[in-house]
Amino acid sequence: MSDEQELDLTSLDDAELVEQMHNDLYDGLADEVAQGTNILLGRGWGPEKVLAEALVEGMRIVGVDFRDGILFVPEVLLAANAMKRGMAILRPLLAATGAKPIGKVVIGTVKGDIHDIGKNLVGMMLEGAGFEVIDLGINTDADKFLAALEEHQPDILGMSALLTTTMPYMKTVIAALKERGIRDKYIVLVGGAPLNEEFSQAVGADAYCRDAAVASETAKRLVEARRAAA
Amino acid sequence: MTEDTAPRRSGGRLARQAARADRSTAAVVPYLTRTMAPFEVVSEEGLALIEHNADTILEQVGIDFRGDPDALRLLKDAGCDVQGERVHFPRGLARTIIQKSAPRVFTQYARNPARNVQIGGNATVFAPNYGSPFVSDLDNGRRYGTIEDFRNLVKLTYMSPNLHHSGGTICEPVDLPVNKRHLDMVDAHIRYSDKPFMGSVTAPQRARDSVEMARIVFGKEYLEDHTVILGLANANSPLVWDSVMLGAARAYAEANQAVLVTPFILAGAMAPVTVAGAATQTLAEAMAGMAFVQLVRPGAPVIFGSFASSVSMQSGAPTFGTPEPALVLYTVAALARRLGVPFRSGGSLSASKIADAQAAYESANTLQPTVLGGVNFVLHAAGWLEGGLTVGYEKFILDADQCGMMGTFVRGVDLSENGQALDAIIANGPGNHFFGTAHTLANFETAFYRSDTADNNSYEQWAEDGHMDSAIRANAIWKKMLREYEAPALDPAVDEALRDFVAQRKASMPDSEL
Repeated sequence: MSDEQELDLTSLDDAELVEQMHNDLYDGLADEVAQGTNILLGRGWGPEKVLAEALVEGMRIVGVDFRDGILFVPEVLLAANAMKRGMAILRPLLAATGAKPIGKVVIGTVKGDIHDIGKNLVGMMLEGAGFEVIDLGINTDADKFLAALEEHQPDILGMSALLTTTMPYMKTVIAALKERGIRDKYIVLVGGAPLNEEFSQAVGADAYCRDAAVASETAKRLVEARRAAA
Repeated sequence: MTEDTAPRRSGGRLARQAARADRSTAAVVPYLTRTMAPFEVVSEEGLALIEHNADTILEQVGIDFRGDPDALRLLKDAGCDVQGERVHFPRGLARTIIQKSAPRVFTQYARNPARNVQIGGNATVFAPNYGSPFVSDLDNGRRYGTIEDFRNLVKLTYMSPNLHHSGGTICEPVDLPVNKRHLDMVDAHIRYSDKPFMGSVTAPQRARDSVEMARIVFGKEYLEDHTVILGLANANSPLVWDSVMLGAARAYAEANQAVLVTPFILAGAMAPVTVAGAATQTLAEAMAGMAFVQLVRPGAPVIFGSFASSVSMQSGAPTFGTPEPALVLYTVAALARRLGVPFRSGGSLSASKIADAQAAYESANTLQPTVLGGVNFVLHAAGWLEGGLTVGYEKFILDADQCGMMGTFVRGVDLSENGQALDAIIANGPGNHFFGTAHTLANFETAFYRSDTADNNSYEQWAEDGHMDSAIRANAIWKKMLREYEAPALDPAVDEALRDFVAQRKASMPDSEL
C-alpha cells in the first residue's frame, strides 16, 4: 500500500482521478476528496460534472456496500463527511452557474418525541448524497415545520418518530400543509421504527423510508421524478 | 495538507470488500479460554454427599466389566473385589487411582500446530455432532448419511472458525461396510481438515487402525508423548462397561492417546429420575472407566464425560434442553473439577426434527449451561437434531454461529482504558450519538459479535430479500462454504502412505455388516 500512500493525485489522468476519488470517498478521506475536487475544477471540469461523476457516483457506491453489509455505519459517516467537504467547494460554484442543486431537505423529529439518532443518520446520508439538509432537531411542532418550509423552500420535508404515541403527529403536520394549500409543493418523507408503508399512506406522506440508505435513495428518486414531470 | 505520514489510503472499495469477505484472515482462536468462574448449583457439602454416594455404589453394588477378563485381572490387582464380572471398588480406590496419574489438563495436537487444543482447565473446545445415522437438509430432507455427507461435514467443520475440533463420527456413513467405514472416516478427518480429530471405537481393531493412521500422519514416536487422537468410550448404563468399549479404550490408552469416558444416561430409563441420582450414577460409572484407563497406562489422558438427558414419561422418548439435565451438567462439571480431570458434556442438543424454534431453544438451553458450567470438551456443538438421530446441515450452520457467540461471551468484560471508554463518554457529552466518535471508529469493527445467520434488517428489507427464515439463510451459507472449500495441504508422502494403509486394510478383509 506504500505506493498508494504517496499517490500524487495531480499525476493521474481524469479517468484515473475520478476512480481514485471514488476510493477516497469510500475510505472517508475528506482532505483527499477536497483536493481531487479542486484538481478537476482546475482542469476545466464544470462543477455539475464534478458533482455527478466524482462525488455522487462515489457515494452511490458507498450506499450499495452499506446496503450489502460490507460498510459499517461509522465508515459511511466518514464517507458522508468527505462528500460534504467536496460539496462545500462546489456549492457556491453551482449556485453561480445557476445549476439546479441536487435538492434541499427540511428534516425533524416530530412534537413529543426526543429521539434523534435515526433522524441524524438520515440527515447525514442525505448530505452524503449531495442534499442540503436543514435539521430542525427534536420535538418539532407543526408551526416550526411550516416556518422552516417557508424560509428554506426545500424540495423535501422529512419527519421522524420513534414512538407509536408520537407518530400520529405526522398527520397533524401534513393536515396543516393541506390547510394552507401547500401540501403538493413538497415531497413528504416519513421514517422511524414503528412506521410502515401503510402508515405512511394513511397520513398522506409520499413515501416511508425504512432506513437511512433507503431515505437517501428515495429522496433522490422522488426529486428527479418531480423535476422530470415539471 | 495534513502532516500525517501514516498510511491513509487503505485501497478503497476492492480492498475493503476483500477484507470484509475474508474473515479467515482473523487470528485463529484455537479454543475458548474462559475468564469467569464456572457457575455452580450445588454446595460443597452437597458435592461431597454425591461423592460419598457414588463410592457407596462402587463398593456395594459394583460395576460390571463384561466380556473382558484382562480388565478384571487389572482391576483385581489394583485392589478391587471382583466377583465374576462384577467389580467392587473399595471406598476411595477409584478416585485414588485416577488422581495418581490422570492429567488435569492436556494438549491434543493437530497436524496444523495453530489448531492444537488445550483440553481441561479454563479451556472449552467445540467439536461437531457425533454418531447420527441420518442427515438432513432443506433440499433433500432426511435420509441415511453417506461418506459424501461425512466429508461435507468435515469440510464445513474445517471452515467454521468457531468449531475447534474436527470431531469423530459426525454422521454415520451408512453406505460403507460396517467393518471398513472407520478407515474412510479417519482418512477424511486427516485429508479434508487440519483440526484435531477422533478415531473409531466400534471395535478394538478399528480403534487400533485409527491410532495407526494417526501414526502415519504424526510419526510413530511422536504419539508416545503427544496426544493426537481421541476415542469416545460410553458406559452401557446403568453400571455396565462392555467389552467393545473397554477394548477401544484400551487401544487408545495403550498408545498414550486420550479416552473420553462417558456414561450415557437418559434419566428415568438408565438412571433414577432425580438430578442428584443421575449425577451420582454418572460419577460412579465414569470413575470406574477412568480408573480402568489409568491402570492400562498410567498417565494416558482421560476426559470425564457426561451425557445426561431426561425422557418423556408419557412415551419414553428422550428430551433435550429441559431444566433438569442442565442441573445435572452443572453438578457433574463441579464433580469433575473436584476429581481433577477434564470434563466433557453438553452441546447443542435438541429433539426437534428440523432447524425450527424448538431446535433453537433446546440447543440454547444446552449450550449456555455447557459454557457457564465450564465444560472442557463439547461434542455435538453443531448439527444435532432429533436426539442425535439426525445431523442437519442448516442446524450445523446455525449452531456454529452460536458457538461463536459463546467465544465472545467467555472473554468477559474488558476493563482496559479502551474498555472503560471514559474518554469517549467525556468527549462526546450529552445528546450526541456515538456512531462517529474516535472511540467508535477505533473499535467498531470488532466491538460486537457479528452473526452470519441472523437477519437484523428492517421488515421491508427482509421481505424484499425473500422472507427467508434462519434455516433458509443457513442453507445458502453451507452451500457457499462447500463451493469455496479448499483442502489444507497434506504432505505427499503422508498422503501416499495413508492411501496405501487404507487400501491394504480394506483388501485384508471381506466387507462385513457387523
